[in-house]
Amino acid sequence: MNPENPYEPEPAEIIEVIDETPMIKTLALKPTSPYQFKAGQFAQLTLPGVGEGPFTPSSSPLEPERIEITILKTGILTDGIHECQAGQTLGLRGPFGKGYPVDKLDDKEVLIVGGGVGLAPLRALIYALLARLERVKRVSIKYGARDTSELLYKRQYDEWAGTKKVDFTCTIDRPEPGWDGNVGVVTTLLENIDVDRPNCIAFVCGPGIMLKFVTQALMEEGLTPEQIYLSMNRRMSCGMGKCGRCNIGPYYLCKDGPDMQYSLIKDYPNVF
Amino acid sequence: MTVFYLPKDKFVGWLSGLNGGTVFAPAATALGSWVRRFESDTDEPPALDKPRAAQSTKGFFLPPAETIARYGPDAGSVAIAEGRNVLVGVRACELKAWKYLDKVMLEGDFDDPAYRARRENAVIISCDCADCAETCCCVLVDGRPYVEEGDGADINVTTLEDGYLVEPMTDKGVELLGGEFSEASSEQLTARQRIRDAMVERLKTQNADFTFNATDANPPDLPLDDDKSWQRHSADCVECGACTNICPTCHCFYLFDHELAVGSNERVRAWDSCLLSTYHRMAGGENMKISPRPELRSRLANRILHKFVYSPQQYGMLGCVGCGRCVDACPGAIDIRKVVEDLSK
Repeated sequence: MNPENPYEPEPAEIIEVIDETPMIKTLALKPTSPYQFKAGQFAQLTLPGVGEGPFTPSSSPLEPERIEITILKTGILTDGIHECQAGQTLGLRGPFGKGYPVDKLDDKEVLIVGGGVGLAPLRALIYALLARLERVKRVSIKYGARDTSELLYKRQYDEWAGTKKVDFTCTIDRPEPGWDGNVGVVTTLLENIDVDRPNCIAFVCGPGIMLKFVTQALMEEGLTPEQIYLSMNRRMSCGMGKCGRCNIGPYYLCKDGPDMQYSLIKDYPNVF
Repeated sequence: MTVFYLPKDKFVGWLSGLNGGTVFAPAATALGSWVRRFESDTDEPPALDKPRAAQSTKGFFLPPAETIARYGPDAGSVAIAEGRNVLVGVRACELKAWKYLDKVMLEGDFDDPAYRARRENAVIISCDCADCAETCCCVLVDGRPYVEEGDGADINVTTLEDGYLVEPMTDKGVELLGGEFSEASSEQLTARQRIRDAMVERLKTQNADFTFNATDANPPDLPLDDDKSWQRHSADCVECGACTNICPTCHCFYLFDHELAVGSNERVRAWDSCLLSTYHRMAGGENMKISPRPELRSRLANRILHKFVYSPQQYGMLGCVGCGRCVDACPGAIDIRKVVEDLSK
């Protein structure tokens, strides 16, 4: 980011566009200078002349020279971004936010729960944990999407599931011909969950309604609000805690989040 | 520091002779005082004896809209430093507001270079309040109608009947005052104290209906925004955003981009208002929750909670300085004092 003007985006060239699902694409970007970020920190991605929006990179924080951002087509900006081709130049600001507390996960059982496009920021966390697997006790990934066409990063499931200390389970909401895996919303993967509860930290990302029910399910399974990190997203403009719009109570999600310990926000209205 | 006495003509002469900056000062109008450019050929003193100006000076540092960046291969960059402004007649409440804005804009991981340049370039000549508006209520939020060293002014001025007491408060102020002025007599200093005490008394009297006494360490206890009692006040809100525009501490802004020409884009920073329904609006379609505060009630609550509850937690300071401008500006006659009084637990 331009140290003299944090509002000015740095050019980043699109080097690859990956079609993930009918509505989701991943853009691989080559930033002007290495984009040093921690898993869970987010970027403000500029579509020149149109505007910018907050997206958490889905790629490995260990590869700051190739940033991948996975984007659901859902509004004016993302419609425009979905039109982009390799070779075009976008803009990047940031990284912003705290990022996942990866260094506090030593000897922990890490539970990763994603819904739909919510697996995107969690993939950065998965990469960060895979790079230090010797320090964590176990990584359990639970993922749900509406149907098989909406499952993200299918090409990586076998590799994750086959890695020692890692397990991966996914589900789709409704039965589908040819699918012999789990059926049901993602909370069905959390019933009688096989984790060492007092030693577990959960990271959850997905639509608001999914966050709500996953939080409820995890609490029913015996996790405390301190053990649950939710990826909270609100409209963010500056990314620096100045423009005011992304607050939950006294917390600015851009600065204090976007992943918030549930214990900090649970007493405020409109969390979900 | 030493306090000096300047008779009226000398004071105006000194102000009009100030070099190295554009001087702005309050001028009396039929609609109250307004901050205007102070012309150097005038012999009219600025309206320091009137209540605080109708609009705050926030816009000098955080303009209503500005180009904050340019980008694209042919865009060039945006020059952010501006000339020096000398702001005269700034009140204690506004100095407090700037302390608050400094925390928002300059502290934390990211500096705001445009705000910093304008803030550091400015010269502040404050004044004690010699009069107040009916809505002035600094005494309810631990404020006072006069300025002391450390408040953030370079020079402070007190209006006496036949002249002014002028007190430099920083090295910049000493340098700026220059000249050979006589030191204030002990009678004049006593007169200043009398004026200050009388203003405090007057403010307490005009706010006697309000029993709360908010401080940074002891802010009022207000219900959260899902509490239906906020409805009693939001029923009068017409979502115009006047309160947030006029408020010296409201700083919410929005960034939006334009294409100026092929290869050249600009990013504009413009004031925004948390009362507006578009403020929180996110992308998304049917069956998606696109705003965390769809009801006006919870948006009004969020503004007042930010001033009185969240700001002390975020910045160690109340977000309301008691200038009363939002009360004057509101077409629905919402009085923030009454809201806090009514809802404090």
